[in-house]
Amino acid sequence: MGRRILYFILSIFFLSAVTFYMARLAPGDPLVSYYGDRAKKMGPKERKWAEEKLGLDDPITVQYIRWLERAFQGDFGISYKYKTDAVEVIKGRAGNTLILGGIGFVLIFVLSLLLGVLCAWYEDRLPDRVICKIGTVTSCIPEFWLSLVLILIFSVNLRLLPSSGAYTVGGEGGIGDRIRHLILPMVVVVAGHLWYYAYMVRNRLLEEVRADYVLLARAKGLHKRSIMFRHCLWNIMPSYLSIMAVSVSHILGGTYIVETVFSYPGLGTLAYESARYQDYNLLMVLCLMSGILVILCNMAAQVINEMIDPRMGTAPATLKSRKGGRLANKR
Amino acid sequence: MNEKTNTLAVLTEREVAEEMAGEFEIAGIRDTACAKPVQKKKRYEGKPIVSMLLLGLIIAGCLNCSLIMTKDPLYLDLQNYNVPPNREFLFGTDTMGRDIFSMIWYGGRISLFIGIVSTVISTVIAVIFGAFSGSAPVWADRFLMRLTELLLSVPGLLAVIFMQAVLGEANVFSISLVIGLTGWMSIAKVVRTEVRKLRSSEYVIAARCMGGNFFYILRRHLAPNFVSSIMFMVAMNVRSAIVAESTLSFMGIGLPVELISWGSMLSLAENALPTNSWWMILIPGAFLIVTLLCITDLGNYLRKNVNRRESNL
Repeated sequence: MGRRILYFILSIFFLSAVTFYMARLAPGDPLVSYYGDRAKKMGPKERKWAEEKLGLDDPITVQYIRWLERAFQGDFGISYKYKTDAVEVIKGRAGNTLILGGIGFVLIFVLSLLLGVLCAWYEDRLPDRVICKIGTVTSCIPEFWLSLVLILIFSVNLRLLPSSGAYTVGGEGGIGDRIRHLILPMVVVVAGHLWYYAYMVRNRLLEEVRADYVLLARAKGLHKRSIMFRHCLWNIMPSYLSIMAVSVSHILGGTYIVETVFSYPGLGTLAYESARYQDYNLLMVLCLMSGILVILCNMAAQVINEMIDPRMGTAPATLKSRKGGRLANKR
Repeated sequence: MNEKTNTLAVLTEREVAEEMAGEFEIAGIRDTACAKPVQKKKRYEGKPIVSMLLLGLIIAGCLNCSLIMTKDPLYLDLQNYNVPPNREFLFGTDTMGRDIFSMIWYGGRISLFIGIVSTVISTVIAVIFGAFSGSAPVWADRFLMRLTELLLSVPGLLAVIFMQAVLGEANVFSISLVIGLTGWMSIAKVVRTEVRKLRSSEYVIAARCMGGNFFYILRRHLAPNFVSSIMFMVAMNVRSAIVAESTLSFMGIGLPVELISWGSMLSLAENALPTNSWWMILIPGAFLIVTLLCITDLGNYLRKNVNRRESNL
């Protein structure tokens, strides 16, 4: 456990350093995001003053150490663009992304299992073939294009659903309004990822169905359904859960693109803006947040795996056997 | 091969039968041995003919775009902007008055070029990284694989978007480089596993004993063994690179609108939405998706056919 925490802290530290240096060394003018167009008209003297005020005139390493010191005290600086505390800016947006990503994740989790089981059940028969064909096609469609087409059909032509935002401006009209705004982005998020995971479930199940114990269970007279759901599905769970744990970051990453197309006020649009306009402090917080999420998800995947199957532990062989022994004693 | 052994077996059986005919009474040769007619496999069987043809057609069209184009794709025909498909403008014109039919063929070159170049970059990195990690001592291998896994869990498209957003101005090569740099991890993992299996085999040790260096062994002994297992992933990389380019261009951080590619054509789509100009969105998108589908199909064909046993369920 201690090793894991150390690994976690080191990764975060490494990530923050890389992001910091990359962002500062990249071409671009952070003053533009603070002063807007005014920054271009500044004289050299004014410019120097502004840079001094924001602490941009020091060498990068000095800036980084200063940032680190402040970050340890919980002060992540102000967003240059919004001119308020960066954490505050993020707080206002995070909820929207969590709704989109969270519900999307649950939907993908459930639907991919269902689809995978369905395909494995009807292996090489019509339903499987049809689903596989449709799945391959959907996996080829870029997310942004699917969003565009959906907007074209449902908001421009049929005028059924709104094309952008998270709620109607002005009248913050209740939950129905929010759901109406969520439908299209949600469809894109789910459609973009669903097939990848469903196909994985299908293939794992097809491998599992060929194992000897299935034959034994059949010979014993167990019903097909109970073999599939009680044994095969249960056996693929470890790998499925660990992949789903890693997928959290991928699904959230997917929402970033969808958010920009639907101009949905979430973290994605914010991250995009901050990277584009060199809003360093905001970018750093967002990168750190995504990094922590990614690493935590990876760890969760590993822990889940080791819990279900102790053989997966990364510890050296001697340690592993001791661990196994302890587990056996407990039983 | 199969046919030969079959006839051979039949012949020997017959000979034996004839030889033995004097000594024993033989009712005849059992039919079963030669009953199975060897089915001749047709040449195109199992191959993705349709997608190969379509992809060939698209690539050929893009390479010879000057023969196909009916208009100059760069010419801004300000009198005929936003025109729906008609006789003169086969696929209509975009909001800047450019002919979409010509743009598709002209821009396809850049899209395909980026797809291929970035795949080459990522494959080269992946092969070298994977082979190095596979033949490195255990601690280095473990560290490198940890790093790979960490990088793998960062959503690829997101990484591309951020790198490109930070880099600012984009051109064809910078985009290929960024996409290539973010897409090598999964191939590297496969290469590493394969190399790990191969590295202690006799011929690799022999080659090393005779003084073959890392790259020689990689080229002559390791690569031929893992090529078949990464082919599918390489094909998928072409696909994801094309998607990444179009997404980047669409979001306005990829290629500028003047540099025509399928992605940058779609970046005008947001202007097209309010006027309901479907041709601006659907036609380039259809080309993009058909290309991607063909590549997927080819990739699936390249994937090693695993011998499937009967289901026990």
